[in-house]
Amino acid sequence: MGDSTRTIRASCVLILGMSFLAIVPAQQRIDQAFSTQGNSGEFLYLPEGTSLRRLCLGHEGLLADIYWTRAVQYFGRKRIDQSPQFDLLGPLLRITTDLDPHLLIAYRFGAIFLAERPPRGAGKPHEALQLLRKGIVANPGYWRLWHDLGFIYYWDLKDYEAAARVYRAGSERPGAQQWMKVMAAAVATEGGAYNTSRLLWAQIYREAENEQIRRNAEEHLAAFKAQNDLGQLNLLLGDFVRREGRPASSWRDLTALGMLREVPRDPSGSPYRVGRDARAQLGPESKVDLKLLQ
Amino acid sequence: MIQRIASIARHTLKESVRERVLYNLVVFALLMFGAAILVGSISVGIEHIIIVNLGLSSISVFGLLMAIFIGITLVWKEIDKRTIFSILAKPVRRWEFILGKYAGLMLTLMINTAVMTVGFYLALFYAKGSLETGDLIVLQAIYFILLQLALVVGLALFFSCTSTPVLSAVFTFCLFVIGNLLGDIRWFGEETGSALVMSFTSVLYYALPNFGNFNVISQTAHGQPVAGYLIWSNTLYVLLYLTLILSASILVFEKREFK
Repeated sequence: MGDSTRTIRASCVLILGMSFLAIVPAQQRIDQAFSTQGNSGEFLYLPEGTSLRRLCLGHEGLLADIYWTRAVQYFGRKRIDQSPQFDLLGPLLRITTDLDPHLLIAYRFGAIFLAERPPRGAGKPHEALQLLRKGIVANPGYWRLWHDLGFIYYWDLKDYEAAARVYRAGSERPGAQQWMKVMAAAVATEGGAYNTSRLLWAQIYREAENEQIRRNAEEHLAAFKAQNDLGQLNLLLGDFVRREGRPASSWRDLTALGMLREVPRDPSGSPYRVGRDARAQLGPESKVDLKLLQ
Repeated sequence: MIQRIASIARHTLKESVRERVLYNLVVFALLMFGAAILVGSISVGIEHIIIVNLGLSSISVFGLLMAIFIGITLVWKEIDKRTIFSILAKPVRRWEFILGKYAGLMLTLMINTAVMTVGFYLALFYAKGSLETGDLIVLQAIYFILLQLALVVGLALFFSCTSTPVLSAVFTFCLFVIGNLLGDIRWFGEETGSALVMSFTSVLYYALPNFGNFNVISQTAHGQPVAGYLIWSNTLYVLLYLTLILSASILVFEKREFK
């Protein structure tokens, strides 16, 4: 190999490397230019799942998976940003389920987070109901969607009559488990009661097919437990006042009298505290969110 | 006769291997294992479904690309390089040459698909930690992909006998796209309410190869088996259609004069 060839090759490698390095700041500049133009709002390039389905040439399942992943990423990003706006969640779920009407996770996960109040969800229970009804039509053999539908009527819309009706209808589907009948009866007789609500969340927890739904149910169950604990602790604090003629200033007052064995802790492991009003409260480091029960 | 066809098929297979068309398998393997690792961390609840969808779509797309781009040059290359003269100078009939070429490419595609299927099951095993008998349903979709490829190779071979590679690729690809939309085309015809348009779209529906028949990827990804009658009727459909295309190819090739 001659010197000139070697020089040309070395120059080419150098130019190639430099060009590649120069692309990075160039792209960053373009990104900056776009960001200074302001956010043009959220939009979908292809808003119709049925049209997309035709263009897929048989690969709609893969596209549905991509849209589902996009929906999950969108939801996750909004949750991290604590944004109350989930405008694209509904359309993304609609497109996903248009492309693959049998993608059950999209109905189940999607409906729960569409219905939940912001910032935990989109706060659109009616859209969630629509999504679940679509899922029931496409998957008539999958009775668990009736459970999700009943739950949204119960928890998000507080329509106990409709919830009981849905649970009853779901319990009559082939293969439906016995507890659907129990739910139908409990919702019909004790709609809105603590035990019924707890029972429903416990069932969501047991039925959860993925980690996020399970964690969400777990957080609700923790809130129920904490609410129950606070009630019990306030009764003890009332007893203390009656016995000692003064309000307790800390749990030590109660442990000293043997009314408590140790400092009580909430489900997240953080100790409860006695507030200035002498009522039991969650500790400052508690991870339990009682607002979930409102 | 069988020996001569087999000899041409063997030669076509060797040629494909020599042209490194099986390199796509490396891309496929990377795609599958990449997806198996990545998807679990960025999505929710579809780890198994996406591996099936991605695996089957890749098998289908890679197969389709190979079927079109090798198929369109099958005959044309022999004519262009003038090797056709030395082949036909031997005791090989023209129809045997066409059938041999077809069988050779199908053999290449079958080997390619078989290796990709093994890669797919390895990725599935990696993602799930085990394989169940229910995972065998995916083989039905792979069979349908092979049926689809058999038709595409037939079409590419036909156009290769009649036209240049670029035009053959365009024609084959267009027919593949139209063949996937035939159900919609017939529906559009019915929607117009015009008897003439309806007849026209109905003729198109039956005359063109219906690739929509083979779209069962999504169904098998959900573990739903394909009905037995659909498997048999699609097999019969492909056999009939192949007989038609290969006969047409032989007809054209028999009449063709080489300069």
